Amino acid sequence: MRPRSGTQPSAHRRRAGYLFCLPGTAFLALFLAYPLFYNAWTSVHDVKLGQLLGGGGPFNGLDNYRVVVDDPAFWHSVRLSLVFTLGSLAFQFTIGFALALLFARPFPLNGLLRSLLLVAWLLPPVVSGTLFRWLLDAESGAYNALLRAVGPDSLSHDWLTDPSTALAGVVLANIWVGVPFNMLLLLVGLHTIDPELHEAAAIDGAGPWQRFRRITLPLMRPVSVTVLLLGLIYTFKVFDIVFVMTGGGPVDATRVLSLYVYEVFFKFFRFGQGAAAGLLLLVVPLLTGVIYVRRLRREEAAGGAV
Amino acid sequence: MKPPRHPWLLTATALVITAAFLLPVYWMAKTSLTPPDRILAPTPQWVPAPVTGENYSTALGYQGLTRALVNSLVISSGVVALTLLLGVPLAYALARVRMRGSGAMVLALLVAQLPPAIVLAAPLFILERRAGLDDTYAGLIAADTTLTLPFTVIVLRPVLLSVPPELEEAALVDGCGLPGVLLRVVLPLMVPGLVAAAGLSFLLGWGEFLFGLTLAEGPDVQPVTVLLNAFIGQHGTAWGALMATATLISIPVVCVFALFQRFIVGGLTAGSVRG
Repeated sequence: MRPRSGTQPSAHRRRAGYLFCLPGTAFLALFLAYPLFYNAWTSVHDVKLGQLLGGGGPFNGLDNYRVVVDDPAFWHSVRLSLVFTLGSLAFQFTIGFALALLFARPFPLNGLLRSLLLVAWLLPPVVSGTLFRWLLDAESGAYNALLRAVGPDSLSHDWLTDPSTALAGVVLANIWVGVPFNMLLLLVGLHTIDPELHEAAAIDGAGPWQRFRRITLPLMRPVSVTVLLLGLIYTFKVFDIVFVMTGGGPVDATRVLSLYVYEVFFKFFRFGQGAAAGLLLLVVPLLTGVIYVRRLRREEAAGGAV
Repeated sequence: MKPPRHPWLLTATALVITAAFLLPVYWMAKTSLTPPDRILAPTPQWVPAPVTGENYSTALGYQGLTRALVNSLVISSGVVALTLLLGVPLAYALARVRMRGSGAMVLALLVAQLPPAIVLAAPLFILERRAGLDDTYAGLIAADTTLTLPFTVIVLRPVLLSVPPELEEAALVDGCGLPGVLLRVVLPLMVPGLVAAAGLSFLLGWGEFLFGLTLAEGPDVQPVTVLLNAFIGQHGTAWGALMATATLISIPVVCVFALFQRFIVGGLTAGSVRG
């Protein structure tokens, strides 16, 4: 053993630690924090296409925000985003929970089938969007063929080009994408429930439904809240699926908030207003994130895993 | 939970549900193998007959598809490399070294995952254009890495925390510097976490769309996801070729997942649930 070894000064170690942090932190500062800060700067300036490379236009206070908030299309997008998010969450969660209950029981091929389900979540959203565009196609889409097979021809419908059903179509695709993720996280939660609780209740004569209501549901509450919070954060930001399936149309039937921001910024090149709308879009994930992090902290303090 | 009385009944149920759930994926592959003139038949066929490679040759005949596939490969490999290069030392320092501000940094990494990509794409469009980074691989790799890096550090930190510090201390005592400890002692122990981080970063880079759409102007660096979307507009009814392209994009995803499945699922749940 060398003499200096045991007394490796912690100051030295700390310096090495800072050095290790430097590249990653510098990168995030440059490509994440600075752009977000710059977005905030843009949102209070009148930036037009001509000033793109020059350095921006004059300061205009809250004008951009005023324009956005006065735009009925903005509020229409907010409503669409809420319907899209809540509709997706309700079904993703319920179906995911049901599947988690099934896959929590041991049976042959359990692992394999569970992994296969995950494929739906891993496919690039653009692929899923294209796929559902095809499935929901008016003439030869598989879903319409299926509907025609079980009922009258009038059931078949051009889902994505009818403004009254287009949103349901994109929600359907998004549910499909989200179910495996919900299932996976809820399954982790189910595995933390002590099986002896169920056994004891069964001996006391509780049926499966009673055991589910009195044991599983209450014990799953913390995980469920976590899953729903994460789902809210993810779903509220969804862009790809909707963009690929409908582009926000027909008319504006599916122009959720992220698409609204995209259009203002990249289609109409109203950079200041796009940045302002972007910051407003940030509000919901940010608030949800604060709640999530606070819960996480509390649980960590309590020593709980989930 | 006690073993069920009829395990095969459960298997059958799960099998039916999984099959129904994955029907869209089957439909994609099926369509891609169906002769173009049969795709639009009023009653779709369940099995492509005869099986044809025509849609694939049409798709690959489109200008730019091969190029776009290569672009996506370059971008996602770059994302993996950059993410691990920046993420591993950062995660290590945050897990192991007592430093001022590490708590704040972990919190910042959690918060970094909140902004919608569009809120980042907008300023990046302006800033990268000014810096001459738009329309380059580097610009796209950097943009994608803003999504993978925070996630990776959060997945890797708990893995590092579970490595017993005694091992590192022993190595330090033996005269290894901190980089040596990281390379020789810690890295081999965290292979599962690294594989999960690399796999997820690859999948994210491969499937990324919005940055490709906004930061890549021309076909030189445009990823295949953007090309697929462009196809929908241009060849709206050429479903066979479209589904062939979609299948081609999906194949690497399924391969990566099949290879590293266990690690990826583990990393995924660790990263999301534990934070």
